Amino acid sequence: MDFGFTEEQEKLRKEVKDYFINELPSDYKTGVFPCSEELVAFLREVESKLGKKGWIAPGWPKEYGGLNLGEIERDIIREESGYWDIFWPDVIGIMMAGPALYLFGTEEQKKRFLPAIAKGEAIWLECFTEPNAGTDEGSMELRAVADGDDYVFNGQKCFITTQPIKPDYLYTEARTLDIEPKHRGLTLFLIPADTPGITYNPLPAMDNRLTSEIFFEDARVPKEYMIGELNRGFYHAMTTLEFERANTGVPARLKHELHEFIQFCRETKRNGKPLIDDPYVRDTLADIAVRIEVLRLALWRTSWRFSERERLGPLDYDLGGLNGKEIVAPMYEAMMNILGLYGQLKTGSKWAQLAGSIERKWEVSRSTHPEGTIEALKIVLAGRGLGLPRRR
Amino acid sequence: MDFTLSEEQEMLKKMARDFLESNCPESFVREMERDEKGYSPDLWHKIAELGWQGLIFPEKYGGAEGSFMDLAVLYEEMGRAMFPSPHLSTVVLGGLTILAAGNEEQKAELLPKITNGDVKLSLALTEPSASWDADGVAVRATADGDDYIIDGTKLFVHDAHIADYLLCVTRTKNGTVPEDGITLFLVDAKSPGISYTMLKTIDGSNKQSEVVFNKVRVPKKNMVGNLNGGWAPLARVLQQGAVMQCAEMVGAGQKVLEITVDYAKTRVQFGNPIGIYQWIQDHCIYLLNYVDGSRWVTYQAAWKLSENLPYDLEVAIAKAWTSDAYEKACWRAHQVLAGVGFTIERGLLPLFTTRAKVQQLYLGDSAYHRKKIAKLIENWSPEISKGKPRGLWEKGEPWGEKDLKIWPWVQDRKFRPKV
Ligand SMILES: Cc1cc2nc3c(=O)[nH]c(=O)nc-3n(C[C@H](O)[C@H](O)[C@H](O)COP(=O)(O)OP(=O)(O)OC[C@H]3O[C@@H](n4cnc5c(N)ncnc54)[C@H](O)[C@@H]3O)c2cc1C
Ligand SMILES: Cc1cc2nc3c(=O)[nH]c(=O)nc-3n(C[C@H](O)[C@H](O)[C@H](O)COP(=O)(O)OP(=O)(O)OC[C@H]3O[C@@H](n4cnc5c(N)ncnc54)[C@H](O)[C@@H]3O)c2cc1C
Repeated sequence: MDFGFTEEQEKLRKEVKDYFINELPSDYKTGVFPCSEELVAFLREVESKLGKKGWIAPGWPKEYGGLNLGEIERDIIREESGYWDIFWPDVIGIMMAGPALYLFGTEEQKKRFLPAIAKGEAIWLECFTEPNAGTDEGSMELRAVADGDDYVFNGQKCFITTQPIKPDYLYTEARTLDIEPKHRGLTLFLIPADTPGITYNPLPAMDNRLTSEIFFEDARVPKEYMIGELNRGFYHAMTTLEFERANTGVPARLKHELHEFIQFCRETKRNGKPLIDDPYVRDTLADIAVRIEVLRLALWRTSWRFSERERLGPLDYDLGGLNGKEIVAPMYEAMMNILGLYGQLKTGSKWAQLAGSIERKWEVSRSTHPEGTIEALKIVLAGRGLGLPRRR
Repeated sequence: MDFTLSEEQEMLKKMARDFLESNCPESFVREMERDEKGYSPDLWHKIAELGWQGLIFPEKYGGAEGSFMDLAVLYEEMGRAMFPSPHLSTVVLGGLTILAAGNEEQKAELLPKITNGDVKLSLALTEPSASWDADGVAVRATADGDDYIIDGTKLFVHDAHIADYLLCVTRTKNGTVPEDGITLFLVDAKSPGISYTMLKTIDGSNKQSEVVFNKVRVPKKNMVGNLNGGWAPLARVLQQGAVMQCAEMVGAGQKVLEITVDYAKTRVQFGNPIGIYQWIQDHCIYLLNYVDGSRWVTYQAAWKLSENLPYDLEVAIAKAWTSDAYEKACWRAHQVLAGVGFTIERGLLPLFTTRAKVQQLYLGDSAYHRKKIAKLIENWSPEISKGKPRGLWEKGEPWGEKDLKIWPWVQDRKFRPKV
């Protein structure tokens, strides 16, 4: 057993940590979804600086803009940027499309698309969910039909996370074959976002997040934009998710929020006494600290286990995802309880505590669906993790 | 990062598992519940031969100089088998206190005897105040010539009924803080004036007693550590004990998980193995999560103890999480095993469940350890970034407003919403 890191790894951690401390503005705030153009521009600036350092996709070879580092090192960088809740405007390129291209793309695709992702110069959207296909990816109906040198797309996606910045590519899964079981007829594509025939309809969501419906009407895309093998899209997407399971940034972000909240409880008096002296508050804060630690270890276990896949075989189970999704709601509910009446105030109110950030995070903690619902993770855990029988 | 046991630890684990599977079957566990002593002196000597009592002690006292991580591996297996023995009382709570605070003479006299199975100890700490802190200690020791006289009642004392010596935690002074004025004494368990009453508890195997000291005379040379300075070494040993208690729960939890998942795969109702139903899967998944979470917080704490790194927070987190997680794990198992899980003679689960409650409470329950955690984290502050301020977060409005005009690209002609 070794719960520590090598000297080299500690050096890397310190370098990343120092970088953020020195680089991020002193009035920087975490947990803010970038809804202003200025803020997005600033985040893009951070992203491209990190890209230059190779910290966006450190696991990729240098020729694709990475540093050729191992998973543990990658997850150390993720943990340190997670502490600052670095909101990657191109989170989809970094966490999904890029890894899929890296694993399954052609050499030409990799050379063309990966460096831009690694440098923080592209914006990707993930186009998977449809009105009739959420958790059940196999039911996708967006159709891609081969026509000469192209594929022609017709259909619709929905709930696609969109940002106040123009996307470059859509990382898309579409139906290429009618077959039972249905998930054997899906294929991955990358689609230029400004392809004629594609239209966007905004669907505002809670916490001022924005998702979109995306419509495809005879949108034509050259065949070389297919990712991986025809009709293997479902499997490719699953494998890609596996590579991104160890999101060590989550507990780090939660720890930052706990740090801020503890400071707030020290500095805020209720009934003439600092909040931090209240036994309920103390018990609650300690409980949150315990849960974060359990989550942190679960994710590091996944990271380590994944990094040893050649020796130990494919990842057996991951409990980081489940814990990461389940910790947030109770955590912010508890913080809201401590804020009492103040908890209902939104950012911008003169009386808002901590600039209304707890309320915002409480709102977002209702959304555990992206990248698979809690129930979807449980299906994987029951089957692959515990070997329980499946319904057919 | 390495989440595997070393080769030697794997060997120790296998050796312990094999030994306990043949020597400590379910029937033996049940027999010991009814047994007055609650353990087998014969097996106690057998495990001494295997080196279990001496695992953690220095070589010069006959030990193997193992680490806390090694010891945790052993405790996991003992927990899995529900092995009834005074190991925690004797080796960890008693032996390690003597190792930490005792003088050379005491160590040379007692540790080899613990190692070869000839001496058993019991820690007499808790009192009717039911507190794990120094402020709960009221039993007095008063100097009288070459002796001290101990007077008062200790309660919930594990393994007192079979111990050769009681390690008695006494108050010798009312200091400005409760920790000041605690002194430890090694008391011959058969000293005149000590009386024992076995407590009737939920778990028949962890035998506990009320121990009344009625003006019990103890020679001064039996003092362990310094006068009035007994709390500091004891507090560290209590932490070490808490981690071992966690390891026992991890091993037990793992077994409960295995029993439950096996049952879910084989029990058929409504034409299907019940493991096919998502509600049953849910129970199994949380069971896995409780056990797995407990394993890593526990191993991390044991690793910190082994490596001599600061461990206060990790130990408190381990016990705070594992105590409750194990109880909840058993509850989940009961849901899946239904009728079979509730009947005493048909299966192991009732044995695990009743032990879970005792282990949860022993050496501090979750709330107790969360209090410690709160103390350790109350001064946490966020890191402060030092770059030039940008003023982008100060205006409250941009994200207080849902006007889609702030999404200029959506307004773009090409991205015109479909109407
Ligand atoms: C803020 C936000 C951003 C998003 N961004 C994107 C994005 O960028 N790109 C994208 O493609 N999608 C995105 N999504 C969509 C998200 O991936 C889906 O919401 C998610 O996959 C669930 O699909 P659904 O909402 O259709 O729910 P459904 O699949 O209809 O599920 C409804 C409920 O039924 C449960 N359920 C479904 N099947 C089973 C089963 N077999 N057993 C047990 N329970 C089951 C689900 O777990 C859920 O609780 C986003 C969603 C949100 C909230
Ligand atoms: C203290 C006690 C007293 C009792 N007294 C009596 C009595 O007086 N008379 C009497 O007749 N019985 C009695 N019972 C039996 C009791 O009714 C059964 O235990 C109960 O019906 C469950 O049956 P089982 O134990 O065989 O569990 P199982 O039916 O094997 O169930 C095991 C698990 O699978 C779940 N499960 C089963 N089918 C499904 C499904 N389709 N979907 C999802 N989950 C499912 C169950 O909910 C349970 O969690 C008693 C039981 C106990 C513990």
